[in-house]
Amino acid sequence: MIWRYGLAVLSVCAALGSAIFMKRFHFVGVEIPLFLFASAITSWYGGIGPSVLTLILSCLTFDYFFVPPLYSLTVTREDLPYFTSFAAFAFLVTWFASVRRRVERDLLRSREELRREVEERSQQASLLNLTHDSIFVRDMNFTITYWNRGAQELYGWTPEQAIGKHSQQLLETVFTTPLDEILAELHRTARWEGEVLRTTADGSKVVVASRWSLRRDARDQAQAILETSNDISERKRREQEIRVLNEDLQRRGTELTAINKELEAFAYSVSHDLRAPLRHMVGFTELLLKNSASVLNEKSQRYVGIILEAAKRMGDLIDDLLAFSRIGRAETHKKSVSLEQLVQEALSQVRQETEGRNIDWKVGALPACYGDGSMLRLVLINLISNAAKFTRTRPKAEIEIGCTDQKPDHVVVFVRDNGVGFDMKYSDKLFGVFQRLHPHDTFEGTGIGLATVQRIIHRHGGRVWAEGQVDSGATFYFSLSKSGGADS
Amino acid sequence: MSSIGRILLVEDDPKDVELTLTALEEYNLANEVVVARDGEEALNYLYYRGNFSMRSHENPAVLLLDLKLPKVDGLEVLKQIKSDEKLNMIPVVVLTSSREEKDMVTSYRLGVNAYVVKPVDFHEFVNAIKELGVFWAVINEPPPGSVGRA
Repeated sequence: MIWRYGLAVLSVCAALGSAIFMKRFHFVGVEIPLFLFASAITSWYGGIGPSVLTLILSCLTFDYFFVPPLYSLTVTREDLPYFTSFAAFAFLVTWFASVRRRVERDLLRSREELRREVEERSQQASLLNLTHDSIFVRDMNFTITYWNRGAQELYGWTPEQAIGKHSQQLLETVFTTPLDEILAELHRTARWEGEVLRTTADGSKVVVASRWSLRRDARDQAQAILETSNDISERKRREQEIRVLNEDLQRRGTELTAINKELEAFAYSVSHDLRAPLRHMVGFTELLLKNSASVLNEKSQRYVGIILEAAKRMGDLIDDLLAFSRIGRAETHKKSVSLEQLVQEALSQVRQETEGRNIDWKVGALPACYGDGSMLRLVLINLISNAAKFTRTRPKAEIEIGCTDQKPDHVVVFVRDNGVGFDMKYSDKLFGVFQRLHPHDTFEGTGIGLATVQRIIHRHGGRVWAEGQVDSGATFYFSLSKSGGADS
Repeated sequence: MSSIGRILLVEDDPKDVELTLTALEEYNLANEVVVARDGEEALNYLYYRGNFSMRSHENPAVLLLDLKLPKVDGLEVLKQIKSDEKLNMIPVVVLTSSREEKDMVTSYRLGVNAYVVKPVDFHEFVNAIKELGVFWAVINEPPPGSVGRA
């Protein structure tokens, strides 16, 4: 502020000094141009206020030093035109200068605005580059006009390579719906979404989920299409994989149903057709024995006895096998059952066979669990009658039924005996169909009992295992779910 | 033995027929047994068709029916008997090798009077046949219109 007024005073002093200097060397009539020059300088650099000050100071000094009477501020009438034209000229110069300053200021301001806008826009553009999605814009002739970094990453072309190209030719897009329909929808709703197949720069195919938005200008004319898309090839591949797996599963289910049907037919035929010849063998052998007992010697009678025994055993095996296959095929009717009650029911059945024996029964507290009552009763009968069978050689048998390892969701039940036990190295054979660890003449049985136990427990989603030692007893365990959560 | 009702034995296997007849003979129950070798023959007997068109107009006191039969199977025979007003009073005993629950349930649903699984053991078999014969042909009072008891 002060320097501008200082400039005004200084320029007037400089003009005055120059004029006095010129006057000494008898140059006349240069005073006015010098003062005008001072006024122009001030108004150019100092603005309106200082230029008005320059004008006043110029008029005063000019009047004082150069207008007769010299060294007085008196103004004669003849001098007025001088002053007036000087003032008018100085005013003109000042006005021009102020106009120029205003123009300059406007120019600066709009340049600043422009700079800010450019900065903002380029910031937005770089944000578009940050997104994972590919974004590109094309005009209505499908010429690409914008191509972000996501598009470069997905399709492989740089913006320089892509912009200006025909998008359909570049990307070899394959649509699942006709393009006409897509464009019709786009014009109607300004949007379209769908999946398209495209070819990338390296020739590989990608499936992309594509979303199109239509941009219209001020006169509502379609101007450009903005497309965002992302690669769903991996997802598609997984979906396809799942579909294949599902089909496979379905096929296997059908196969399993067929196998089950076959098995049922097989069991039926075994039950019918195998038993009949067996009955005939037994029947006619008995008749033979009855009619010809007198002519058969002792040896022959023994042979006939063996035939009958073998046929009876085969009958037992067939019956057990059928019962076993029925357990696999039967539907389970699961609900909450009391294990304690099932044990009592099993015990009352087994005790009929162990009458007269010295057995110390110990039954611990058992919780309720979730399962098919009649199947679980069969499990307990099998395990308990096994325990009774294999303690037969003991003068005093000890059989304990209880549970260990009570967890909130499942229970482990055990049946322990002090019988003949078994060698742990054969423990994997215990639960096989018709697998036996003892000769038939020591302990009778077909070897189906533990296989039945295992099958029932497996159908309940549980596990069965055994621990034992030769001549030191055996313990059989099975686990069961306490609630309906774990179904087979 | 006028007190013995007639038994219709429907059985395709000659060995089973022989065994059954032997068992019945043992207790003097075999003189009133008619044997049909398949389901069709059994129905022919009941409806006086074919070889049986000339037989006397009385129903058997009991029908011992095998399930697995040629031509018309046992369950079909049972179904026809139990759905015919003239025949549905005849006591029918299924005598089969099959212990299949499905067959048993179907038979009872169709109105069978007894279901017996032929035991493999001969003595048990003879016993079963004897008891069946004695019960149905001797002890049981057959419905009106049956042979031998009227």
